[in-house]
Amino acid sequence: MTNRIAEDGLLEQAGAPGKKTVEMPVGVPGYTLAQESRDVPVAEPPVWPTNKDLKYVGQSVERYDGAAKVSGQARYTSDVQLPGMLYAKFVNASVPHARIVSIDTAAAEKYPGVRGVHVIQHVLGNAVLRNPALDPVKYPVVRYAGQPIAAVAATTPAAAEEAAALVKVRYDAIPFVVDQNKAREADAPAVFPGAADEAASAGGGGGPTDVKQTGNVHGPSIHRKGEIDQGFKDADVVVEGHYVTQVQTHSALETHGVVADWKPELLTVWASTQGTSSVREELSAFFKIPLTQVRVITEYMGGGFGAKFGAGNPGVVAAALSKKTGSPVRLMLDREEEHLSVGNRPSSDQTLRIGAKKDGTITAIHLVAYGTAGCGTGAGCSGPAANLYKSGSLHTEENDVFINAGPASAMRAPGHPQGAFALEQTIDDLAVKLNMDPIDLRDKTDDHPVRRVERQIVRESDLWKSRNPVAGASPGPIKRGVGLGQSVWYRFVSMNSNAEVRIHKDGSLEVLSGVQDIGSGVKTVMAQILAEQFGVPPSQISVKIGDTNHPQGPDSGGSVTTLSLTPAVRDAAWQASQKFLADIAPGLGATPADLVLVDGEVRSQSGKFDPISFRRAAAKMTTSQIAAQAKRIPDYDPKKYLTYGGVDVAEVEVDTELGRIHVRRVLSVHDCGRPMNPAQTISQINGGIIQGISYTLLENRLLDPVYGLMVNPDLEQYKIVGAREIPEIEVRLVEAYIGQSSTDASGIGEAAGVVSIGAAIGNAVYNAVGVRIRQTPMTPAVVLAALRAPAQGKETA
Amino acid sequence: MSDSAEEKTESGKTADSPRTGVTRRGFLKGAGLTAAGTALLDGVQAFSSETKGGTPASVTELGPGPVPVRLHVNGAEHTVEIEPRTTLAEALRINLGMTGTKIVCDRGVCSGCTVWLDKMPVNSCMTLAIDAVGHHVTTIEGLSSDDKMHPLQAAFVKHDAMQCGFCTPGMVMSCAALLERNPHPSEHEVRHAVSGNLCRCGTYPKIFAATLDVAGTARNA
Amino acid sequence: MNRFAIADCTSVDGALSQLKDGAVVKAGGVDLLDRMKDGIEQPEKLVNIRNIASLRGISETSTGLTIGPLTTLAEISNHPLIRSDYQILSDACGHAATPHIRNMATVGGNLLQRVQCWYYRSADFQCIRKGKDICFAFGGLNQYHAIMEYTTCPAVAPSSAAVALLGLNASVELSSARRGKRTVSIKDLYIEPHANPTKFNVVEPDELITAIMIPKPAPGTRSAYQKYGEKESFDWAIADAGVVLEMDGDTCRRAVITMGAASPVVRRSPEAEAALTGKIINEETARAAGQVSIQGAKPLSMNAYKLDLFPVAVYRTVLLAAGKRDRDPSAAG
Repeated sequence: MTNRIAEDGLLEQAGAPGKKTVEMPVGVPGYTLAQESRDVPVAEPPVWPTNKDLKYVGQSVERYDGAAKVSGQARYTSDVQLPGMLYAKFVNASVPHARIVSIDTAAAEKYPGVRGVHVIQHVLGNAVLRNPALDPVKYPVVRYAGQPIAAVAATTPAAAEEAAALVKVRYDAIPFVVDQNKAREADAPAVFPGAADEAASAGGGGGPTDVKQTGNVHGPSIHRKGEIDQGFKDADVVVEGHYVTQVQTHSALETHGVVADWKPELLTVWASTQGTSSVREELSAFFKIPLTQVRVITEYMGGGFGAKFGAGNPGVVAAALSKKTGSPVRLMLDREEEHLSVGNRPSSDQTLRIGAKKDGTITAIHLVAYGTAGCGTGAGCSGPAANLYKSGSLHTEENDVFINAGPASAMRAPGHPQGAFALEQTIDDLAVKLNMDPIDLRDKTDDHPVRRVERQIVRESDLWKSRNPVAGASPGPIKRGVGLGQSVWYRFVSMNSNAEVRIHKDGSLEVLSGVQDIGSGVKTVMAQILAEQFGVPPSQISVKIGDTNHPQGPDSGGSVTTLSLTPAVRDAAWQASQKFLADIAPGLGATPADLVLVDGEVRSQSGKFDPISFRRAAAKMTTSQIAAQAKRIPDYDPKKYLTYGGVDVAEVEVDTELGRIHVRRVLSVHDCGRPMNPAQTISQINGGIIQGISYTLLENRLLDPVYGLMVNPDLEQYKIVGAREIPEIEVRLVEAYIGQSSTDASGIGEAAGVVSIGAAIGNAVYNAVGVRIRQTPMTPAVVLAALRAPAQGKETA
Repeated sequence: MSDSAEEKTESGKTADSPRTGVTRRGFLKGAGLTAAGTALLDGVQAFSSETKGGTPASVTELGPGPVPVRLHVNGAEHTVEIEPRTTLAEALRINLGMTGTKIVCDRGVCSGCTVWLDKMPVNSCMTLAIDAVGHHVTTIEGLSSDDKMHPLQAAFVKHDAMQCGFCTPGMVMSCAALLERNPHPSEHEVRHAVSGNLCRCGTYPKIFAATLDVAGTARNA
Repeated sequence: MNRFAIADCTSVDGALSQLKDGAVVKAGGVDLLDRMKDGIEQPEKLVNIRNIASLRGISETSTGLTIGPLTTLAEISNHPLIRSDYQILSDACGHAATPHIRNMATVGGNLLQRVQCWYYRSADFQCIRKGKDICFAFGGLNQYHAIMEYTTCPAVAPSSAAVALLGLNASVELSSARRGKRTVSIKDLYIEPHANPTKFNVVEPDELITAIMIPKPAPGTRSAYQKYGEKESFDWAIADAGVVLEMDGDTCRRAVITMGAASPVVRRSPEAEAALTGKIINEETARAAGQVSIQGAKPLSMNAYKLDLFPVAVYRTVLLAAGKRDRDPSAAG
């Protein structure tokens, strides 16, 4: 062990204890805030107070790259143009299920402008047979229409497209199934000849691998807690509902794709990705080259929502073509391919029963769920049922149903919008049955301390007070209602979160990490942290991210980025600043402990010298650069782990004559630990709400039942909300400190909006019309059918 | 486009003839377009001097191979060598390297590719590049002048009206076009102006706020 | 898109001289480029009429209105005279597609756009309208398709402008080099699929629409058009209604009720019209007209919900036309 500078500036002797005890703010200011003790490593920076006492952190600092984005200067992967770059186009399967007999690329290879053709030997994304011998074929089996088979690289996009059309694929068609219910039948065509599993992928994709498979049904994956039969015996009332949700595609505006430049000494890949590390790892593994021989760059990316991890087929094929041709190769999917082959949110078919006592105590939660992740797995949706409410007993069964459609991938809070849609409506059903206010019931069943505060905020809001006391009571064909839904998400920590801070002798400051910004504004937050530490405005900080040449950053899935990386950034800033002060102190005639960094200056607390600007102080450095690199250390106290989430309240208008639902207002109350940048956090919450509304009312991946092809692989008939669908959104950010890291920040992408808004809409519709809609999307056809013949959940005494 | 500009017809041409039933006196609309048509004529004739035998002089045949096309973009003239099938979006992005304009759906249903033709917002993915000849094309790169942001761009940054940023150029061009023709829109009018623009990250509320901020109309909370 | 030659024209005669040997007209290019990008058409020669100034403009004549076919949807919807006297057309053009498309799309192109059925638009489905002998919608996904008057093909009429122009009893002038001009009513412009599945309208390959003529409405005429989608921002119609009312004070002397999203070609509803003729327009009579507006409808497997929507679209648009109700905030576009 080496000597080191402790936080009070004094040299700490080797052999000192590794931890120190500090007091950290824990709880919600104005409600439950208190000081709690934590034992933290001695090298950790001083504890930050709550946001009101910080200068830059917790402020709505302007987005770091806002100017670049509004001016068109931001360069995305699809904008990258390199000298000699070739354009690649996939050849995709035109049938939903087949063995490939032959692939004739002769005509394509001869086509003017073509420089290389690649035939896929191993297609990524689909589930993989446990016994590969069951598929003794030369080429991968086609398991969905749109599955990539080969690719052509040419000097122009048009040449690549035309040549790709000349690749002749001969298929041996296999019976297929695209209807989830039909796929469950005993005599359904088998999507796989045996049991198959999809590997877990970043962000929560993939499903369990230790379950049985019967025909196309992969599962069940069962979780039990307590005795479920006894739980129902103990219940005074039982409420049941059957809920069905649809397959949704991510539909990021920038499609998947890369520009790959394979040089002998280095493979450089610009990728539209949520994880520069994940792309590098997959390319390294796939091509069996060292990680040091792969560099991934993501300056900007146009949305991911969970689908963009790893190199995938686009990355691997582009790299192969670049290696083959000796030129950089650009392979960006078109919109149709984007819908078909790079992921989706699985459907769900859930039967949920909840038993409770008269006073609202839940005694039993029983969920049986089936969902299709296409030819992949990952349709589980039991998260909310298992983690939102206390229950005497719990029994969940989750099943993946294979169909011949594109494999799913993680999509913003995998499984949770589906699960919450069913759970939160069933809980509201319970409230109706028990004649309890929905908030009172949740106060009884949900012991999460922060959601309790959030429900209190909702209870006191004008919006909630305007809720109909009696469901369906308002007159006229346009009926208004208010309802709420809750969310839960988890504080996943990526330990692969590193940052380096450099101070230069000219006074310039920079922070570097391999992390990418998927739209959350992590660059801004990083600048704010350095600003807080060094006392200079965030606009003076240079932030460099999105490059695996930098210290490794986390993959942005599971809402880990801010939570995982900011402590590393802060720790690096702290350590760099301490080194800096120790370095310049002698030249200033002071001790390091006497120096503070405030308002762009270095000051002597004891008045040994007049304040000097940071820049003049940096000029006194004894070396040109001082740097510190830090990694994410574990949370301070795992025993104090707390999930997080919030409450969404929706006000809807239901046009009962047209079956149309319009969401007029949303009140969204959420916590994200310490909000690092409220404006950016609110932007994300808006985004989750809007995506959730779109999912609840409109979107649907539609497959023709007879031919197995998607009929709406576009952005016109695949319907995403536009400007006129947007409600008035009010966000109340709840600061909720948990005392777990040097920044105490959490993510928000999945915790807010997307999980809870669907149920809030469902509950609001019930409040409006007295009928519960248990199916999404809630199109006019669905709403009118429900209004005509409301399918009530079964209620038994 | 201005309603008040005096309507013109092409002098010397039989644009208005009794046969078509359109009288010169009754020609109520068309200001600006006829002028553009004249310019296009010039533009077309300027770059193609060949006409096939027997082709009337009012027809110019181009392609299918590459032809030189003169585009006026962000105040500067550019000549690109492109096939007639090249869309304006492709010409801007690939031939001119102006990648601020994005291609998202390639079908004119998301307005991610919005540029101005003479201050009129159009989908550049559904416009042939040759149809831009004779018009002033403005892209997102041309909205700011001399490193000074357009007030709307500054407002977008101030209100954090972006996340991943991919829809942002199209949104900015759409909202800025609105402000050109209607400096004080209501929120309803702003929503209507971007009703064809898709954003997957959900930046709409702040886009409305930013545009209304520039318009000087306070947005009710 | 496939490679093509393009003949850039600045006169009608020049354009007509080019319409031969498979050449196709390009006006705004909105629907044509869509079809080409979807790979369902690969014309090798385009005749670009977009710059023919004489085909653009709106003029008042002694008998009504003449609109050049290159006039854009935006120009039509914003035109003061059309807004005041031909509201149904302003409504229809002003809510079609998206704002930016309306800036480029021409009314002529809009009238001649092909059906939007997703099977038709996909190169993977070779259907009856493309010369083969299967319709994929009957046994497939048909939630957006027709509920009446279909036999061979249930794709619905796609043009909102046509719904409005039918209500206004408009006609189009077609011109060709060899046969000169002819006038066709909007109703006769479209060919029903059973008559000729691959020919959507009567325009011959060597013809251009050179004018759209609308007779002057009778004094006291009020009109409106509304369409409803699943989305409000922009969407194809799942139900729509065009209404033209000739009023004597509060009483309706004559009504024309048209729709596009119910049937393969634009249609009128004589039953709804009869229900309003001679009546005072109020909620009761409007709803009665709505109830009979789709008499005889036979839904497909997935679109029975349209039976609920059309009566509502009709009654609300009747009341809007009569000035008794505001534009429906949930109407699309």
